[in-house]
Amino acid sequence: MFVCANQYDVIVIGGGHAGCEAALAAAKLGAKTLLLTQNLDTIAQMSCNPSIGGIAKGQIVREIDALGGAMGRVTDFSALHYHMLNTGKGPAVHSPRVQCDKKVYQFTFKHFLELQPNLDIMQDEAVKITTSGNAVDGVLTLRDTLYKTKTVILTTGTFLGGTIHIGTVMTPGGRYNDMPSNLLSKNLSEELGLHLMRFKTGTPMRINARGLDYSKFRLQPSDNPLQPISHFTDECEQQNRKFLSCYITHTTLATDKILRENFQRSAMYGGNIHSQGPRYCPSVEDKIKKFPEVTSHPLFLEPEGAYTEEFYIQGFSTSMPEDVQRALIASVPGMENASITRMGYAVEYDCSNPMDLYPQLESKIVPGLFCAGQINGTTGYEEAGGQGLIAGINAALKVQGKEPFVLHRDEAYIGVLIDDLVTKGVNEPYRMFTSRAEYRILLRNDNADLRLMPHAFRLGLLDKKYEPAFEKYRALCNALKANLNAPVTDEPDLFPWSLEKARKHAEIHHKYEGYYERNKKDAEKLAEVDAIKIPEGFDPSSVRGLLFESAQKLREVKPQTLGQASRIPGVTPSDIQLLAVHIERFRRLKHVADSH
Amino acid sequence: MNSTICALASGQGGAVALVRLSGPDALVITHTLISKTQLLEPRRQTFCPIYDGKNVLDKALITYFKAPHSFTGEDVVEFALHGSPYIVGRLLELLCKVGAVPAKRGEFSQRAFLNGKMDLVEAQGLCDVIAAGNKAAHRLAMSSLDGKLSGKLTEIKTKLTELLAQIEVRLDDVDEEMTPLSADFIKQEISAVLTHIKNLTDTFSVGRLIKDGLKVAIVGAPNSGKSSLLNALVGFDRAIVTDVCGTTRDTVEETLEVNGQKIILTDTAGIRAHALDVAEQEGMRRSKRAMGSADVILFVLDSSRAVTPEEKALWADIRKENKRTLIVLNKSDKPVASTPDLDNLPSYKQFTVSCKNGNGLDDLKNALTAPLNDVEKDGLMISNLRHYEELLRAQTELESAQMQLTQNAGGEIYAEHLRGALTHLKDLTGEVTPDDVLGVIFSKFCMGK
Repeated sequence: MFVCANQYDVIVIGGGHAGCEAALAAAKLGAKTLLLTQNLDTIAQMSCNPSIGGIAKGQIVREIDALGGAMGRVTDFSALHYHMLNTGKGPAVHSPRVQCDKKVYQFTFKHFLELQPNLDIMQDEAVKITTSGNAVDGVLTLRDTLYKTKTVILTTGTFLGGTIHIGTVMTPGGRYNDMPSNLLSKNLSEELGLHLMRFKTGTPMRINARGLDYSKFRLQPSDNPLQPISHFTDECEQQNRKFLSCYITHTTLATDKILRENFQRSAMYGGNIHSQGPRYCPSVEDKIKKFPEVTSHPLFLEPEGAYTEEFYIQGFSTSMPEDVQRALIASVPGMENASITRMGYAVEYDCSNPMDLYPQLESKIVPGLFCAGQINGTTGYEEAGGQGLIAGINAALKVQGKEPFVLHRDEAYIGVLIDDLVTKGVNEPYRMFTSRAEYRILLRNDNADLRLMPHAFRLGLLDKKYEPAFEKYRALCNALKANLNAPVTDEPDLFPWSLEKARKHAEIHHKYEGYYERNKKDAEKLAEVDAIKIPEGFDPSSVRGLLFESAQKLREVKPQTLGQASRIPGVTPSDIQLLAVHIERFRRLKHVADSH
Repeated sequence: MNSTICALASGQGGAVALVRLSGPDALVITHTLISKTQLLEPRRQTFCPIYDGKNVLDKALITYFKAPHSFTGEDVVEFALHGSPYIVGRLLELLCKVGAVPAKRGEFSQRAFLNGKMDLVEAQGLCDVIAAGNKAAHRLAMSSLDGKLSGKLTEIKTKLTELLAQIEVRLDDVDEEMTPLSADFIKQEISAVLTHIKNLTDTFSVGRLIKDGLKVAIVGAPNSGKSSLLNALVGFDRAIVTDVCGTTRDTVEETLEVNGQKIILTDTAGIRAHALDVAEQEGMRRSKRAMGSADVILFVLDSSRAVTPEEKALWADIRKENKRTLIVLNKSDKPVASTPDLDNLPSYKQFTVSCKNGNGLDDLKNALTAPLNDVEKDGLMISNLRHYEELLRAQTELESAQMQLTQNAGGEIYAEHLRGALTHLKDLTGEVTPDDVLGVIFSKFCMGK
């Protein structure tokens, strides 16, 4: 065994969307950080669709960006096509989505990582997390190298015990042709005692654009004018770039017939897959089975890159065998003569119960171990990136002996996401929706900067050079929010913000004013109970008079605050009343004991 | 904990009732019910009228305790009222209308404890109270919302959840391929739910009657036999009965159970145009108030003699009350003089009764409780003030949603109101979480890539 001389503060295992943000954030906060990945050439790979953003996800990207994360900036850099979703509805649900050049995306991200001070990147596979006492102290790799560290962030994606299914053919893999991490999975469950679950997700086939009949497609051009997804991108410069189009087609009765005749041959229905897949992102065989009355489903052709003819077919996710997949493609208008370049497949993988985590994403079972991304039962690049960022920040803060950083439900979709995960757990891959946010009117695309940048400047996640411009912008917004016709003048040095942006924000604010206040008031009530910390040594489940089910749930979740306890499904307002009294009682008794 | 809560702080049924209002808005809320210029000094009792719109609900002793020098440690206003369930119920209703919320079980004490106003020993008793409330509420949620009421509530919840799902699925539709909902459709769906809710809130007054008892005021001219009627209905001598006019100078209250329903009878002083002395005048003032707070008025006439001008004047007063009124033609054991000469009398139910031999009493009793029985059979009844308030708030939310629809607001706006309505209903129907809404979405719509 080779023992690396470096003593790390944070080691990130996995170089996907969660791992990359985690590593950047930890390093930015001054933690000596190492990113371990099996393959440096697949770092920040977009394993599924070639786009970033989407409904509610677009807001998450804006939040990551406001907190100094790289996802937004890399997206703008690699953008091929912009589309603001939901523009037919109110601005609270406007969500940016950007098609990216996959290769440009991942290598731009790699470059970001390489440029980051305090961050080492190493191509190697982690096989074991070592502990002393109960806490993390190192990572052992396949090469038999031991890296010493104070904390570990697990961002394993679909690689833990990954199995790929195409029809009845099963191969080990975290992604097609990429080896899974089986040793690490064993270490986590058998030696560290994590509670692993098994989830499933899938991806559609890719086709060669040569031979497509575009006359049968509906054209979806890129937005003009466009809105960059990052706060820091120059809108005018971005506008001058070249963009590609997407295309829309649909499944037919012939598609339907092929699927029906071959149900039993799909991995999902043939019996090889038992794990839980997402309900909202069904494979095409799922759609036919569950919604037999719908005879035509839309399919979206999205370019995989600027220098390739490959198209991703959104809506065609499948685990059917190869001959069926070929027949399926031929049944779609415009694709009759298209050839498949990569087969669609389903992947099963291990994830860990997120209810075993504190809201700062640190494990309750193994101190110093953080988890982010798909390992926590989520799906989506954006959900992964958001968690990675928070885990990276908190690992660094822990090493520095500082208070954890937790976003609240009224502050960010990332706050909603993590609170849901650690309080309610998951029974299918979790994807963000705006309907999950009770303060939807507060969590908008246009105010992510105002919501979160103050945190970012305070923590040191954003370059201080932006702070004066941000403060000017904030003052402008406040003046215009108080009075839309306030006499304001365009200030110099406002970049990347502008007077126009401030006006737009203020107009949206006015549109929602009554609702904004209402959401705020509700959020304040929540903040009061969230401010009541459940003191160390106090076991909420031991309180007499709680409903039996509530006590059980409290034992399971171990809430950090009274607010978190109140959000556990089944815990009643009376339970919370009781807890409030007992916490105060505990506090006073302790006070008495301490003063003696 | 920044809400302002209210509840009856004394037990039910005393001569004086104490209603407590606690929280940051206690003073502001109080001033919406009393004269705006009425000064309330801390720790001083003030005797002043409480208004129900333009009418005086009651004259009460009001005491203001400024935070932190109060029972709960917050701003507190206490109302000492006449101990009538009607007055107490109505005051709580009025307080809630202007922003207070009905207190949960043990909530005053909980606040007192959290604000350092109660010691650890007392806290244990408090916990027991909350725990008992918890179990009771749990049972209520599980079972006791029985029969049709529970069915109706489930119907409301399901309809609202499904409508919300239809709206949310469009807000979260990544593909943007879903056809929009028409405003007319949403309005129709909301109207249907509103009808259900209104039907329920309409039962509140009757529901409360069943819970608190039906207040019946017995009125009539002196010596028409009001006290005898009360005694006959109660079955023993409760009121002092003499044949000297004006014996009953105070109001006499008696609670009895008729056909399984609680009835509170109030015998009032005989009303005469020229009261003999001050005590009698006071008694008559109370009689008028008893009529004002009654649910049913029994107008007692002596059928053995002709109607007097005083009775005619009294009849005019009774009709002004615009309440359910039954005419009791008493002393049927004596020869009947003539049909009473009173305006519009045939449109009221009349009962020929003899308190002496008991004839006609059963018919009268059955008539008194008949409307209560109707409601019981239907099973739809809201008697809990908290539930009533929550239904009203849900109703307001749904009406706001409809108004927003008329103004072409976006789905995210009326979704706010539907969410609000569901939140208000959670005590009655159980909580509807985003996961529940997503559950409906995933089961009914094919969404996602």
